[in-house]
Amino acid sequence: MIEIQNLKKVYSGVVVVNIPKLSIRKGETIGLVGNNGAGKTTLFRMMLDLIRCTSGQIISKEADVSKNDSWKNYTAAYLDEGFLIDYLTPEEYFYYIGSLHNLNKPEIDLQLEKFNDFFNAEILNKKKYIRDLSKGNQSKVGVAACLIQKPEVLMLDEPFANIDPSTQIRLKNMIREINREKHITTIISSHDLNHLTDVCERILLMEKGLIIKDMETNKNTLEELEDYFSVLQ
Amino acid sequence: MTITLIRHQWRSFWRAKNSGKSLTIRIIMAVLILYLFSNLILLSFYLDKILESVFPDLNLISAFSACLLYYFLSDVLLRFQLQELPTLSVKPYLIQNIKRKQIINYLSLVSLASGFNLAPFVLTLPFLIKVILPQQGLPVFLGFLVSIAGLTFFNHFFSLWFKRKVNLNAWWMLAFVVSIGLFGLLDLKLHLLSINSFSSVIFKSFVQQPVLALFTILAALMMYRINFSFLNSNLYLDEMRSSSASSKSSTEIPFLNRFGKQGDLVANELKLIIRNKRPKSAIMMSFFFLFYGLLFYGNPKMGVGYGASIFCGMFMTGIFIINYGQFMFSWQSSHFDGLLVNKIGIEDFFKSKFLLFTIFSTINLILTIPYVYFGWNIILVHFIMYLWNMGVNTLLVLYFANRNYRRIDLSKSASFNWEGVGASQWILSIPLLVTPFVIFYPLDFLGYPEAGLAIIAVTGIAFIVTRPFWISKLVSEFNAKRYAIAEGFRND
Repeated sequence: MIEIQNLKKVYSGVVVVNIPKLSIRKGETIGLVGNNGAGKTTLFRMMLDLIRCTSGQIISKEADVSKNDSWKNYTAAYLDEGFLIDYLTPEEYFYYIGSLHNLNKPEIDLQLEKFNDFFNAEILNKKKYIRDLSKGNQSKVGVAACLIQKPEVLMLDEPFANIDPSTQIRLKNMIREINREKHITTIISSHDLNHLTDVCERILLMEKGLIIKDMETNKNTLEELEDYFSVLQ
Repeated sequence: MTITLIRHQWRSFWRAKNSGKSLTIRIIMAVLILYLFSNLILLSFYLDKILESVFPDLNLISAFSACLLYYFLSDVLLRFQLQELPTLSVKPYLIQNIKRKQIINYLSLVSLASGFNLAPFVLTLPFLIKVILPQQGLPVFLGFLVSIAGLTFFNHFFSLWFKRKVNLNAWWMLAFVVSIGLFGLLDLKLHLLSINSFSSVIFKSFVQQPVLALFTILAALMMYRINFSFLNSNLYLDEMRSSSASSKSSTEIPFLNRFGKQGDLVANELKLIIRNKRPKSAIMMSFFFLFYGLLFYGNPKMGVGYGASIFCGMFMTGIFIINYGQFMFSWQSSHFDGLLVNKIGIEDFFKSKFLLFTIFSTINLILTIPYVYFGWNIILVHFIMYLWNMGVNTLLVLYFANRNYRRIDLSKSASFNWEGVGASQWILSIPLLVTPFVIFYPLDFLGYPEAGLAIIAVTGIAFIVTRPFWISKLVSEFNAKRYAIAEGFRND
């Protein structure tokens, strides 16, 4: 699905991302872990063509993402609040995102019904602009806006941060479900090792721009990760 | 402590990511501000002559006294519109070991550094020195000076206090507007009450008894106390926010649906304009430009030939393109990453900008129709300039938008706000303002003004017809520069 080749990003002489080769298969659920500054967000941004790669390329469905817009048709992402249009109400934002994918209002409304639990009655019909919502609720809007696009590739940067424990669990269930039923290729970064090993089949561990471990999740993975992070201190 | 806070403020100004790093812009700004103030000084030097001609049967000091209160009343209104509340920056200090009192004193002190507080002195001091000092002597001069200072500071703290009051409860605003309207009605229409003579009485008393002027200082101090105690009891984050959280409704603009995706993008941008402080005030200001024509056409000395109507026509039909377009893409800086990742064709993105420009310019063209009163050919010139705006200026503005990497905070007011202003705005203004005249004046000089107008019209139409070509140029340029634009707009 996605092939990364010789990818490098250099900021004033410092290599922040360096991935010689990485392939992501269709339907995989991948967890991205690493301490601050490991290059997770930079990697996401390059995969979304938001920053220019210093060298190398990212091929999604046989097309280079920096040369061709076709990846936008099937990729949904939420990295930070910069993805939300904060002067819209959540409903307006969902309708807007839907209209970009040729979904009309009733279709969006139908989709949004599935998020009733996830939203916990704090998002819809509140007559508030997105900028007036709390960070956690903004993050819920961002994640839901991704899912209503019915994407084939989903990228979430720290989706578990800022949201309450029940919503975290609901989000985990949602990710598992879409992966099982729709075979969406999902890439999630998080600092919560428990959540990540819970939902992801494959974990990529980043350190200083390099992927130093690429492992299938099994019952020892969590322990292994915890060992790695505690040794660092 | 206050010194430390001021030093932090100073650093935040100079170190702000987009505070205009290049020296040239700062110099241009300084020149502009100096120019404004030199205008005020010039006005104040001739204040005695102006007063003489407006009130021929009053002596100078009476005329001056009669006007002062009007000045300060309009000062309150102006401050109410334009003055910024100094709030946002105190958040990190609230939980530190700093006394509330110090924070509030700092807020009040910093807020004093405003052009509004300098203007009354610039405006009156030359008059005071020229007329009052020689005629009435030093005590009266000092009396006037003190009273002007007192009233200025009174206005300052009154408007700060009142603006916060209004933020908490919008009814105050209504009461304010009603009482101002009532005063105006009683004074100007019904003549039951005269601010004019009231003003004379007050300031005449200062001439007789200059010490009385200290009462204005007392009033200012009282207002300071009121503002202080109000802040003291309301210094909480949720209450200090400058926007009140009233319920928001979703608005739909059915007219735009027929334009498909471009229509959706335009609808969003209209919401951007309506729901955010800075673009909203920028648009309000641009509607004032519709009165520009009165200045020129109403005055035969200025409105000779087509030159004036070309100038007015370009501004009145194109003010939105100029005023809003100069900060193109910066308006969307806070969600630019989202725009890039979403399924939006860049071509649609650019076309939506043209649609937005067309809507506003057409509205403005329609609104300028009453100028037909000054001659039908004025409307013709307006229409020609509308074509020019649609064809040439839209492209110019978008060409420069591809070179604009400055983030804008939408929640700040537009007046005296230089955020997002960069070299591109200054360079942009040159071709924008000069080109039509470069075409027109040589031909006008040779005796063919109509030919000049015709060429302007044809150029405009030619660019409208060839627009798809230019859009494709803009798109390929945007694709090359999008990383730099997105980088500049990002907050981190």
